[in-house]
Amino acid sequence: MEKLVACQTCGLVQEVDDIPKDSVIKCARCHFQIFHRRVDSRVRTLAFSIAALILYIPANLYPIVTAEYQGQHIQTTIFQGISSLFTLHQYFIGSLMFCTSILTPGLKIIGLIFITLTLDWPHWKKARTWIFKIIRIVDPWNMLEVFLLAICVSMVELGEIATIHPGRGVFSFAAVVVLTLLATLSFDSRLLWDSPAERKL
Amino acid sequence: MNEKSSALPKAHVGKSYFSWLLWLIPIAAALLCAWFVAQDIIFAGPTVTIYFENADGLQEHNSLVKYRGVKVGEVGTLKLSKDRQRVAVKVQLDASAANIARQGSVFWIVRPEVKLGALSGLQTIVSGNYIAVEPGNDARTNQFIGAEKAPIKEVKALDILLLAPKLGSLQPQSPVFYRDIQVGEVLDCRLSDDAREVVIHARIREEYAPLVRMNSKFWNAGGINIHIGLFSGANISAESAQTLISGGIEFATPPDFQTAATNGAVFSLNEKSDDDWEKWSPAIPLTSVPEAMTN
Repeated sequence: MEKLVACQTCGLVQEVDDIPKDSVIKCARCHFQIFHRRVDSRVRTLAFSIAALILYIPANLYPIVTAEYQGQHIQTTIFQGISSLFTLHQYFIGSLMFCTSILTPGLKIIGLIFITLTLDWPHWKKARTWIFKIIRIVDPWNMLEVFLLAICVSMVELGEIATIHPGRGVFSFAAVVVLTLLATLSFDSRLLWDSPAERKL
Repeated sequence: MNEKSSALPKAHVGKSYFSWLLWLIPIAAALLCAWFVAQDIIFAGPTVTIYFENADGLQEHNSLVKYRGVKVGEVGTLKLSKDRQRVAVKVQLDASAANIARQGSVFWIVRPEVKLGALSGLQTIVSGNYIAVEPGNDARTNQFIGAEKAPIKEVKALDILLLAPKLGSLQPQSPVFYRDIQVGEVLDCRLSDDAREVVIHARIREEYAPLVRMNSKFWNAGGINIHIGLFSGANISAESAQTLISGGIEFATPPDFQTAATNGAVFSLNEKSDDDWEKWSPAIPLTSVPEAMTN
């Protein structure tokens, strides 16, 4: 079965024969990799999502920073930081932090795993599409992670007064951010409406 | 149609490698988690519970446990005990300090203290209170009763008891002088069992212990002595600036001195000295003790 595929790099439309297993196709003109559907999209999304899910646990359980200030040493997890924002009556920033740092990454990971695992299932096609739509809508808001970095930077700037060590939490959290990013990137949304037979190709 | 498609170029087919490498990512994530957990298990010492009557100044997950000024653990949670008489302080000891969790270890809270003539725990004003520990050597245990104050260190020294009708300005840490040189200090003061006298527990440093003989005389050197004579004018004297505020004890040993005092020897504390006591100057050889041996 032959298909027409446009190279995403140079735009050349070309014919693609049946691809043997474990092989890639390259553009006839620019030799960049081309694909009909993203290569290994499903497996990649699943692998990245599972890795993110695993690291989501230490990201939330371990402290993100250890601050030593006047001999006291204070460890703060993400959740403690958010609840202290609430006790300071910073409800808006508190909720924003909760949504962008805890809620959306978690939902995103679970949503992607759900979609990739149930992809072959004929039912819930609509639900999968909706979930993916929501993930797409929510995704830019995860850029608010930058806020977290801003906080870290301001704490490091306090270095004269306090000693700040990044905790295990912040490394795990950074990994979760990168992995969820890769997971959504590697997911080919066209798989949502491909029939199982087409997907095999 | 056929013409058109044959005009299109054909894509190359190449081999793809290492798609299985992808699964190394979740495996690495899992290994990282396992490493975190293993670190917590392997590098964490035992958790002990210390019961204090008052945990004032300790902060949950914040205060430290120190031994010889070095952190050996962290305070976890503070909870009221079931009978509401004590505070249960959970302490996570470091692995290197696991040996502290033994019977006989004494834990106490170091707080800033300002007493006349003595300041202690000043650093805690800035750093917050912490728990200090003096390790014991007996069987392992995880439950301790916290001490109210630092234990009196077992050092090589001469401990004597002085009986006085009243305490005057003496207090713990008041100095003990011999020829105006401090040779010891008061450890604590209490009423005698029948409440007729005050018992003062004094400690003479080891190197000066031979100065105390069974017939030595002790007197209260605190405060100011004011003599106003017709011809000599006013004569105001004090042993030292410290005795002015905190009081002190002076002693002298007669030339015909007896055997050296032993631990727990009891003397009476006179209110002031006789003139001839201060003139006594017996030659007593002092054994010099190397610095390292004194503690």
